[in-house]
Amino acid sequence: MFRINRWFAVLFFAATSVVLSMLLSRVESIAAAQETKVPVSKPSQVAAKSPKSGTDHETAGALPAPLAARDVSQRIDALIDADLKQGKLMPAPQTTDEDFLRRVTFDLAGTTPEPNVVSLFGLDPDPAKRTKTIDRLLESADYARNWAQYWREVLYSRATDPRSRISQKQFETWMEENLAANRGWDKVATQLLTATGSVQENGATALMFAHQGDPEEIASEASRIFLGIQIQCANCHDHPTDKWKREQFHQLAAFFPRVALRRDPNGGVASFNVVSLDAGPGGGRFAEPGAIAREPEKFIERVDRNKDHKITLDEVQNDQFKRVFTLLMERADANKDGALTAAELKAMPIPEQQGRGSLEHYMPNLEDPNDRGQKIDPVFFVSNTKAGAGMKDTARRELAAKLFTSTSNEWFAKAFVNRIWSEMLGEGFYMPIDDIGPERTPNSPEVLTLLSRQFAAHDYDIKWLFRTIANTHAYQRSIRAKSAAETAPTFAAAVPTRLRSDQLYDALTTVLGIGDIGGNRAPQRGAGAGQRVDNSPRGQFNAIFGFDPSTPQDEITGTVPQALFFMNSPLLQTLIRGAGQTRLARILQDFPNDEDALTELYLLVLSRQPSEKELKICRKFLSAAPNRREGYEDLMWSLLNSSEFLTKR
Amino acid sequence: MSLFHHQAISLSRGGLTRRSFLHAVSAGAIAAGTLSFRDVISLRADDLRKQGMSMILLYMQGGPSQFETFDPKPGLDTGGPTKAIPTAIPGIEIAEGWSQVAKQMTDIALIRSMNNKEGNHQRALYQMHTGYVPSGSVKHPSLGSAIAKEIGDPAHDLPAVVSVGRTVGAGFLGVDYEPFAVQNPGQIPQNVTPLIDTSRFNRRLGVLNELEQDFAARGGETVVANHQRLYEKTRKLVQSPQVKTFDLSSEPQALQQKYGETQFGKGCLLARRLVEAGVTFVEVTLGNWDTHDDNFNRCKTLSEQCDPGFAALVADLKDRGRLDKTLVVWVGEFGRTPRINPRTGRDHYPRVFNAAIAGGGIKGGQVIGASTKDGMAVERDPVSVADLFTTVCKSLHVDPRTENMSPIGRPLKIVDGGEPVAKLFG
Repeated sequence: MFRINRWFAVLFFAATSVVLSMLLSRVESIAAAQETKVPVSKPSQVAAKSPKSGTDHETAGALPAPLAARDVSQRIDALIDADLKQGKLMPAPQTTDEDFLRRVTFDLAGTTPEPNVVSLFGLDPDPAKRTKTIDRLLESADYARNWAQYWREVLYSRATDPRSRISQKQFETWMEENLAANRGWDKVATQLLTATGSVQENGATALMFAHQGDPEEIASEASRIFLGIQIQCANCHDHPTDKWKREQFHQLAAFFPRVALRRDPNGGVASFNVVSLDAGPGGGRFAEPGAIAREPEKFIERVDRNKDHKITLDEVQNDQFKRVFTLLMERADANKDGALTAAELKAMPIPEQQGRGSLEHYMPNLEDPNDRGQKIDPVFFVSNTKAGAGMKDTARRELAAKLFTSTSNEWFAKAFVNRIWSEMLGEGFYMPIDDIGPERTPNSPEVLTLLSRQFAAHDYDIKWLFRTIANTHAYQRSIRAKSAAETAPTFAAAVPTRLRSDQLYDALTTVLGIGDIGGNRAPQRGAGAGQRVDNSPRGQFNAIFGFDPSTPQDEITGTVPQALFFMNSPLLQTLIRGAGQTRLARILQDFPNDEDALTELYLLVLSRQPSEKELKICRKFLSAAPNRREGYEDLMWSLLNSSEFLTKR
Repeated sequence: MSLFHHQAISLSRGGLTRRSFLHAVSAGAIAAGTLSFRDVISLRADDLRKQGMSMILLYMQGGPSQFETFDPKPGLDTGGPTKAIPTAIPGIEIAEGWSQVAKQMTDIALIRSMNNKEGNHQRALYQMHTGYVPSGSVKHPSLGSAIAKEIGDPAHDLPAVVSVGRTVGAGFLGVDYEPFAVQNPGQIPQNVTPLIDTSRFNRRLGVLNELEQDFAARGGETVVANHQRLYEKTRKLVQSPQVKTFDLSSEPQALQQKYGETQFGKGCLLARRLVEAGVTFVEVTLGNWDTHDDNFNRCKTLSEQCDPGFAALVADLKDRGRLDKTLVVWVGEFGRTPRINPRTGRDHYPRVFNAAIAGGGIKGGQVIGASTKDGMAVERDPVSVADLFTTVCKSLHVDPRTENMSPIGRPLKIVDGGEPVAKLFG
């Protein structure tokens, strides 16, 4: 039975190569249609059932005319205000200038404003000063850096192989360039989905590298990050809460089976290349030991020059298989005669990852783990667009990117809008932010639809989206205590959120007036073996304070080593001394009056003036302190250790 | 806070999640006997906590060679030059270099039929710590964190999970079960000791608490409440007399030498002190087992560190009457190839490998399963990772099918599948 299958496969391959070129030309025409933004026609013969979702699939192709950011901000506020009125909820008042400036500086530029900037902003009588500040921050270098750091954590926090963080600097640089140039989100996503090349040279390889070229992991993460849909729940069974079928997950994975990771033989330990398995003329299907083990006779026939049914080093000396041959010798040469037979190849221990290195994707047979499973051709689950069999890696991934980023795919825009809105306002339309889909009910659905359709109409202009959100009254509201009635987000008030590690690090260096925090040894997190730790001061800080930005806010409650760092770190103790060259020493010197000094200290650490009550508490504390310096050191310690310092308010 | 989040999930999914179901369960349901066995088990958790069970994982990072540890094959090509030595149990032989462990064999059971598929370090390490293969969508909690959640004492001064060396974290179980990493066993961990005197430290905490009130009142109440809980937990650690548990200097010199004056030996001694002090789960890592080259010399060096630490730990726990309540497990991510490669190394081999297990009610002095004569495969009684994990759960009186709700609303069992190895229990 097994033999018959094997021969069938061989014949099948032979037949396919003829048909392949025909299929490819068909696919290219689909691709060409996509180029001109004509919606992909849905082949009616596609096996999967057509989705019966109540969403605007049918009309999604026709995008609205792009509106100015200001107009969309106003429409959003009108929609939210109407919702609040209907729910009899009073919105919180607009923030103070201090709170606004700190919030928007963290959101757009990833750091805290300097005290003098806070004071000047407060004194500025210009009624358009908030909008102007938003524009200024979006044009700052800090904007691109901040959001590149954000996306670094989104991508690497769930890396299948934590070692892939060795390329995070390259990713960050690449992402920073894209953000600074304000390339559309579709362009960014396309590059991430289609990248090949050296992970040390091309930062766009990050997603493929992070998941080791594994088609199922890439499919899961691409769907989660770009569409917000957790389709991998359908990996082993139909999706438990959504309509997705198991086959649809594997059809998505079938866009990526030819992505592979290769160590660069001439490079150092960290040199990896993301390559297409079908690259190179002929024989590409044997680029992997796994493929050889499945079809040993075929492989021997291909290489066996002297027709003795064995292959030796001589026979592959000038062949592309030379490298793979040495690998095979170690693994398969059972009798150690320096030659490989079909029997030896067949008996060779299974490669480390079964099914890897195959040119097509196979849906595992859950009943029989030894079975190779069912071959699956790529179909994009959202639109049911079929890609056809046997496509080359680049064509397959380019098609995937087109389907992901197509304006007729509503989830691409919705996932991004939901993520950025949620990051800025503290609550999303859907929560958790990366678990959305046609069978979930979002909060304020009209706002989400308006914003995501406009985002698509603006060619996924990222800065346009930030500008639009930041200018809404919804974004600029104060925080306030939640009433018991508010069980779902209403956007009636801002929600305080935990600062990301990079934001906190930048806030801390700003407050302390230093470039870098040196010398804190970090407890290392993550799965261990071989993980290269970023030993820069920022990297060490991130090892203590980092978290996956896709984590729901209410699960981020801090850790003991974080608290220990702020409480007792010798480094921090030195930097908050009230003597020497520290910023506190400067304040104490410049402001002999306590009210001035305390105001300055609050402006420095929390970017706001102290309340009357806080002034009273501080004064009382100072009067009981052994001396002025020590009293202020303790107060600065308290402000840095406060939850407010860790929080965007 | 977290209740709010889970309600939001269940609303947006148009259905009830298991967790919200459990929240909604009334006393009436319990009285009426409508709860499943599993729910009753979770209600028994408080009783379990009182039993004071704990676990020490000796993690051999890199994948130790079974031939050079507990399944030697002297005289065979695959066995290499490694000799076998007798142990306290007649008929059980282990590799040379493990003479101290050999003496403790009465209390140790060897599993020679561990069997798995993952031959990649990261994936196998993750699986050996969580019971699950890695997936981008969910960070599974480590077994240690899951166990601490079931039987740890939440009010304890010390963290419930401590790791000497890096490890896999608590995943979605959160801060209370996050492993507390110790870099240098024997020393008080980084930033634990305040640099100022207690009265000033308390003054700072006092004024911090006062100053937080304004922010709490203007909308930061949840943030402040979480922060205060964390600071109270951290303060308790900082000011606890138990911090001295991390300091080994009070241990008799002779005992310290028995454990070995190595990072691993100190880690083992620290582990004993920690479980005695009430910590639920301690992991001690010994790295460098990835012997692709120079396998035999490297294994010798490693056994010189591991043998005294492992043996002294079992003996010491027994002397102090803690062995019955402390499960000790020795394992790595996989085994190594029977074939010796041209660099005198052995490569990754998940098909057959070893684990050693002692204490916690485990019947020692026996071997579970066997490898084939040439060591290529499991001969009998294969034990999977899930089998090993359910065995651990059984020893610690934890129901392996207890479900924890993942952030995307999918319940995950502590261990999915597997059966406990029956022969290990009396």
